[in-house]
Amino acid sequence: MNRKSLILLISFFSLLFFQIFAFNNMNIFGFVNPMIYIVFLVIYNFDSDQTLFILICFLLGFSVDFFSQSGGAHTIATLTVSFLRPILIRNSYGVTSEIPVSFNTDTRRINNYTFLSLLFILHHLIYFSIVFFDWTAVHLILKNTFLTFMFSLTLSIMVLNFYRKPNDS
Amino acid sequence: MQRIINALIQYRNPILYFFFMGCSIFFLTKKSKYHKTQLEEYGMYVTKELYDINHKLSNYFKLKRKNEELLKENKKLRELYLKSKSLALYPNAFAKKKHFPFKLKEANVIKNSFLNQRNNLIIDVGKGDGIKSDMGVISKNGIVGIVNSVSENYSSVISILNQDIKINVRLKKSNALGSMFWRGLNPLEFKIDDVVNNVSFKKGDTIITGGMSAYFPYGIPIGEIVDFESNSQNGYYSINARLFEDPSLVNYVYVLSNVDREEILKLQENFQNE
Repeated sequence: MNRKSLILLISFFSLLFFQIFAFNNMNIFGFVNPMIYIVFLVIYNFDSDQTLFILICFLLGFSVDFFSQSGGAHTIATLTVSFLRPILIRNSYGVTSEIPVSFNTDTRRINNYTFLSLLFILHHLIYFSIVFFDWTAVHLILKNTFLTFMFSLTLSIMVLNFYRKPNDS
Repeated sequence: MQRIINALIQYRNPILYFFFMGCSIFFLTKKSKYHKTQLEEYGMYVTKELYDINHKLSNYFKLKRKNEELLKENKKLRELYLKSKSLALYPNAFAKKKHFPFKLKEANVIKNSFLNQRNNLIIDVGKGDGIKSDMGVISKNGIVGIVNSVSENYSSVISILNQDIKINVRLKKSNALGSMFWRGLNPLEFKIDDVVNNVSFKKGDTIITGGMSAYFPYGIPIGEIVDFESNSQNGYYSINARLFEDPSLVNYVYVLSNVDREEILKLQENFQNE
């Protein structure tokens, strides 16, 4: 097992741990719980095999669901985002030759933030759609999506700084 | 086989995705009652819509049969209606013994005309359906004509739009008898003669069949009085009448068969012989 896989393994469990025990209990404004475990979908190498990635993401979402007693909303959202990640990458980084190996190796700020935003918005939108599961609650879905997205993005940008190598910046 | 495996390998990501998606939805419905009922509701909605479309389509294709059924039902109701009208003519004591001799048979008009002075129709029932000549033909809002000649499956009908035919009618209010015939131009405009001068009526009074012939029973509403003038020389009114229904536009008609017709004719014959 090389160093990268080890980092991914440790991140998987630590993100899961923090998500379940810290971020799920934040209740900012009474209802906003930032979702930090999606960082795993960001740091996972862009050029790796997608089949394994979908499998791992399913496990990740399922674990979050399992420990936070929330049915299957996290699983479905994470699974869908992991399946659609190549499309998001292409949309935010441009043509194939410009797609970086992983999120951390790229230094273009705007592309990075576009990618993050797309990933988070898509994930949150699917998550809240499934949680409410009612067309009449559209305004609730959008409100929750937007607020949670703001906090999730801010927090995950902080977390992503841990993954940067010291000589990067 | 190789191809199937190749396809499976090629599309392994979507397959995996949908498989896990199915698992997730399964867990979701197992875990949350709300999502389960909600999903069932959507499912119900979709199946309802599908069944709705199916129902509408099959209904459309059944329209013809439905129509025929309705026509049959209508026939029965009309028979009852005529029966009830007819019995009202006689006092209650007689009504008990009096039976209603008319039976109805529904038919489609396949040829109709109104341009000649002597018009006739062709209907799609004939000898095989028990039709004989000299039967009355009515429509839903009036009378149409009298059967003239009959073939195996078709009959020709002398239309009341024929200047040779005189129809025995009554004025509904005064019960005065008269005879009605076509004026020869507008299919709705008729003339009534032979109404004696001493009865009173006014414009808009309903005209019904008289019941004094073997063709039509008493009490079928035909039309209404438009205007009239009294002719003091011969002591009869001459009345202009208007039909409720244009006989040149009917599609469905009922043929009236009079069960007692033979009997009546025989009596008439005896009467003439004496």
